[in-house]
This record gives sequence, C-alpha cells and structure tokens, in this order.
Amino acid sequence: MQGALSATRLRALRMLLGTYALLYTLARLPELWSIAHYPASEMEATGLARLAMPAPVVISIAVATCVLLGAFVAGWRYRIVAPLAALGLVFVFSYRSAWGQIFHTENLMVLHVCALALAPVDRDGDHAWWVRLLGALTVVTYVMAGIAKLRLAGLSWLDGDQLRNQIAIDNLRKALLGAGTAPLALPLLDRPAWFAPVSIATLVVELTAPVALLGRRLAVAWVTLAWAFHVGVLLLMWIVFPYPLVGFAFLPLLPAEKLLPRKLRL
Amino acid sequence: MKAAGVALLAAVALPLVRDPRHDAFPLSTYPMFAEPRTTRLTMDYALGETGSGERRTLSPRLVGTGEVMQAYVRLERAVHTGEAPALCAEIAARLHGTDIAWVRIVTGQHDAVDYLVRHIIGPEKERARCKVP
Repeated sequence: MQGALSATRLRALRMLLGTYALLYTLARLPELWSIAHYPASEMEATGLARLAMPAPVVISIAVATCVLLGAFVAGWRYRIVAPLAALGLVFVFSYRSAWGQIFHTENLMVLHVCALALAPVDRDGDHAWWVRLLGALTVVTYVMAGIAKLRLAGLSWLDGDQLRNQIAIDNLRKALLGAGTAPLALPLLDRPAWFAPVSIATLVVELTAPVALLGRRLAVAWVTLAWAFHVGVLLLMWIVFPYPLVGFAFLPLLPAEKLLPRKLRL
Repeated sequence: MKAAGVALLAAVALPLVRDPRHDAFPLSTYPMFAEPRTTRLTMDYALGETGSGERRTLSPRLVGTGEVMQAYVRLERAVHTGEAPALCAEIAARLHGTDIAWVRIVTGQHDAVDYLVRHIIGPEKERARCKVP
C-alpha cells in the first residue's frame, strides 16, 4: 500500500467505522435506558462496567459517547476526542453486556474504534501499519472463535451434532420466549446429516481467517465466505451480527476508501 | 503509538490462555456455540393464557428487554431468587388491554427437536401465576 493511499484508507476507516459506531450506539439508547433500570443485584461486572449506575448517568455517558463519536468521525481535536470516544464506547457496551449476556456482536466494533483512537490522524505516521492492525483485529477474533470450539468440544465439534444441538437449543429458547424461530432451523433440524458439512465450513472460515492478510484476492475470497457464514447464522439462529453483515467488520481488509465520496478521499 | 497498537492486539489474543468459559467484554474468549450440549433444555419462561385457556408465548419486551437472552436471564434469576411473583406482576401489567387474562411463569423441560419439529411439549412446573389487571 502506498503512503498516500494508506493515509486515505485509514481516514476512510475512521469515518466509516466511526459512523457505524455512532449510529449503532444511538440505536441502542432506548434499550440501555431499559437495562439501566434493572436491579443492581442482576449485574455481572465485565469490562469497564463494574458497578450498576442510575439510569440518567448511564444514558448521559452514552449520549456523551455519541457526541464524541461525531467529533471522532469529523477528526475534530482527534488526539483528545478519539481516546475519550473509545473509552466511552467500551464503557457503554460493557454495561450492555453486564446483565447476563455478553454481546459478541459488539466486540469487534469496539476494538476497531479503540485501534483507530490510537492511530495517526495527520499526514505523518505509518498509516499502512494501522490499516493492517485493524485487519488483524478482525482476523484474530475469528480465529479465536474457531480455537474456542476446538478447546471446548475438540474435534468432535466437526461431526455436526454439537452444532445441531446448539441450533436446536437456541431456537427452542427463542420459541419459548416468544421471539420466533429462524427460517432454516426447523427444516434442517430433522436432517442431521446436513450439520457435519456446516460445522466443517464454520471452522474453516474461522481458522483460515489469516489468509485475508496475505493479499487483496485472498481477502476478498475470505470476506465473501465469512459474510456467507453470518448469513447462515442469521437463517439458522436468527442471530444478527450487524457489523459483519453490513460488511463493516471486513472493511480494513478491503479498499474501504472506495466507499467514500470522491471529495472526501483527499 | 505502535506499541499501544501491538498491546491492543496482544490483549485481544490474551483470552486464549484463560478458560474459554470465562468470557468477558470486550476481551472475549468467543465461546459462542462451542460448548458441547444435548438437545434437552430445562428453562424458566413466561406464558400467557387467554380467558378460554389458550396458551400464548410472550415476547422479550414484556419481560422488560428487547433481547431474548436478557429476558431469559431475568426469568431465570426471578425464579431462583423467589422473585417470580413480582416479575409475573410486572409482565401482567404490560399486558393490560390485551386478550391475555393470566400470566404464568413456569419451568419447562423439553427436548428441543421434539418441541420444535414434532410439537411435543415437555412437562412444565408453575412458579408464579398472576391475573392481568
């Protein structure tokens, strides 16, 4: 990656991933308000969320984080604003994950903003290195998910039974909680033979993620597979991973600057 | 600043050396769907009942959250801390003006494939029952 191109790409990533984080946080405000009213005894501390706080305090921090993210996207007083925006984002989504469920849909978004907060914003600096770091963060999270399966279930995870059972249980929970079942879950649950290839494909996608760092074509190929994997998760479990589904999780591996209007690429 | 970037990447990978069951945010072990399990599920959940005794499932919003798993955890905690009647009343209050007459919080034991594919409902033990105001 040439110097000017990598600076433009890093800038594009800051604007695009920052905008995503801003819109996502805004969309979560009503739910944050709701969980901020849960009894303190239900809290399970994680990340920066160590204590239950009054709802107005939680929402104030979330709103302040949105304002900071707006400045982050604009690049305004970046060296001060960006770390504060990242800190706010880690707090807000730690708080959301502190009530019985870790939201794995949010880790990578938060990590990308943290990395961008550390990256250079002016013309000086090794912009290409920071773009690669953002890509490496995407890759590492997928590899870790694959390793976790092998650590917890071993190679038996590949026979399909574990995946089928997980999908069955997940859909049952949703059915009992009135949230509906995923469109492909019921047709496939009665056909166990389908799950071995799906399990193998899942692990292949996760464990081969590092190939995306080896060049543009491999990146495009892996991103396509990983995106398809998330579509599969959606159709089998009704679990929406919005960050990868809209493609933003993969932008550091792709020519992200092409998504910016031409006048913003300079 | 590159050192900080390397430290961030290392921190993200660090959970590889801890028990994958000990998940956290934002430094996760990413244990989603990794834990071996059977299709048997014992679970606490809320049900609605119309005046004619028709069974209805209730959405997570009625439990006070838009998230399925948070509703699941709230119900489980309420049953295990003896607060099921209070949560039952909270849900019932949100159902005011609907055709649901009663709310029940139950602990059900189901086989997931039987329930979903063959529509076989397992045994359910009632933990709380309250009238919709």
